[in-house]
Amino acid sequence: MIEVKNVTKKYGRKKVLQGVSFTANKGEITCLIGVNGVGKTTILNGIMNLTPMTSGEILIDGEKLTKESYEKIAFIPDAITMLPHMKIAEAIQFMKDFYNSWNDERAEELLGFFRLKKEERISSLSKGNVAKVNLLLGLALDVDYLLMDEPFSGIDIFSREQIADVFTSHLVEDRGVVITTHEINDIEHLIDKVVLLDDGTIVREFHTEEMREMEGKSVVDVMREVYRG
Amino acid sequence: MNYIKLLNFELSRFIKIYFVLIIITIISQLISTYSVAKNYMNQFNLAVYRDGISIEKYVEQFGQVSLMDLQHSGWFNLPIVIAAVTLLLYCFFIWYRDWLGKNTFIYRLLMLPTARINIYLSKATAIFLMVLGLVALQVILLLIEGKIFKWMVPANLRHDYSIMEYLANTVGDLYLGVLIPMNFIQFLIHYGIGFMFVFVLFTSILFERCFKWKGIIFGVVYALVSMSIFFIPFILEIIFAKRYLYPMELFVVEIVLGLIVTAMSIWIAHYLLNRKITV
Repeated sequence: MIEVKNVTKKYGRKKVLQGVSFTANKGEITCLIGVNGVGKTTILNGIMNLTPMTSGEILIDGEKLTKESYEKIAFIPDAITMLPHMKIAEAIQFMKDFYNSWNDERAEELLGFFRLKKEERISSLSKGNVAKVNLLLGLALDVDYLLMDEPFSGIDIFSREQIADVFTSHLVEDRGVVITTHEINDIEHLIDKVVLLDDGTIVREFHTEEMREMEGKSVVDVMREVYRG
Repeated sequence: MNYIKLLNFELSRFIKIYFVLIIITIISQLISTYSVAKNYMNQFNLAVYRDGISIEKYVEQFGQVSLMDLQHSGWFNLPIVIAAVTLLLYCFFIWYRDWLGKNTFIYRLLMLPTARINIYLSKATAIFLMVLGLVALQVILLLIEGKIFKWMVPANLRHDYSIMEYLANTVGDLYLGVLIPMNFIQFLIHYGIGFMFVFVLFTSILFERCFKWKGIIFGVVYALVSMSIFFIPFILEIIFAKRYLYPMELFVVEIVLGLIVTAMSIWIAHYLLNRKITV
């Protein structure tokens, strides 16, 4: 389980996150939703120790993040994380060199799934294909948790569909997924848990199934309530 | 093991520019050697065959040509300056290229399942190896340049130096005197200070990467404090106008202070990379 406990992040005097607490379980897809600049990416960066939090605690399976943790939690950011001049094959080799959890078979499967060619250079790829390469590099790791930052941002509808298909496949089965987005439509039906953020704080946290059963509301309905008042 | 992989990766990222530096150095210095030898022989031929000066008289008046004459050639010194400036700039570029622009490779580096200090150490080692590689190239080139002189200039018109003799004569030279020290102690002084400077610079860069604008001030202050610690014995000598230490004692104290500054830089970098770094 990923536990984010009372996390606060300040940039100078500006508070980006204020007392944020939530958990993300294995086998569940947890979605952090909020408008741009609300602190979603900061939370993911904080979980991966890519940005220091001002206060609070983040635990992965009850322990603080260490170098070994990167073998069981992967982050798929919304940007190229490999050198642009690298070929996809070289990026794969880089991951294979450093990660014991790298799964070659799954990498091959993902190459086929996304119809990517190994000899293509990352710099020559469309934004959609860059997002797919990022996903490939994260999903091919045998990790327990996956963090995805805006995987649908700025990409064409066909790529979005393909990426959404990943969530219903065995590729994320049994893993804990934390996904940030402000475009909920593509994955609304896939989400198990929602954390709504506004102005650096959590304004609502719920399980989608319970919300549907108990109050008869969809994620979008709750978002309308929260963000439109 | 991951440190070696990272080092290999860092070296491969610079290899093209490095080969360009090597080629520039080789071509430029060989041109320099050829042109110095050729000019000398042209002048010699004019003096002896046109003006009728005897060989002995010519040698007495103009001296023999040797590797030492290369030091005054721009073609000889220019690649050394280019390589030094390139490697100095690369000390900054080796960090900033991972953060700036579209490229966010720093995400990938910081998320590797290895101690983050390995990123710092591998970058530093890459710089050291590239510097030492160019120094080795320079020594080899001096041997080749000596051979070129032998092919182009008759024995009675040239003075042959062994590498050690040659280096003994370049101690005060701005470029070669610094680049290729005469003995191991000088090597320790020159490259020890150089490598310590790289560690201090890297830690200052990390201050900037961690604290942005404030980090520039922290970095500059850190560099000044580090240099002050290293030069304390000299500063005290200046302040009190008195020499407290014998040269050997001073040497040992400087080694200890250099190690302290280096260890401090690595320790602070370790802390910054684990606790303060931000992508």
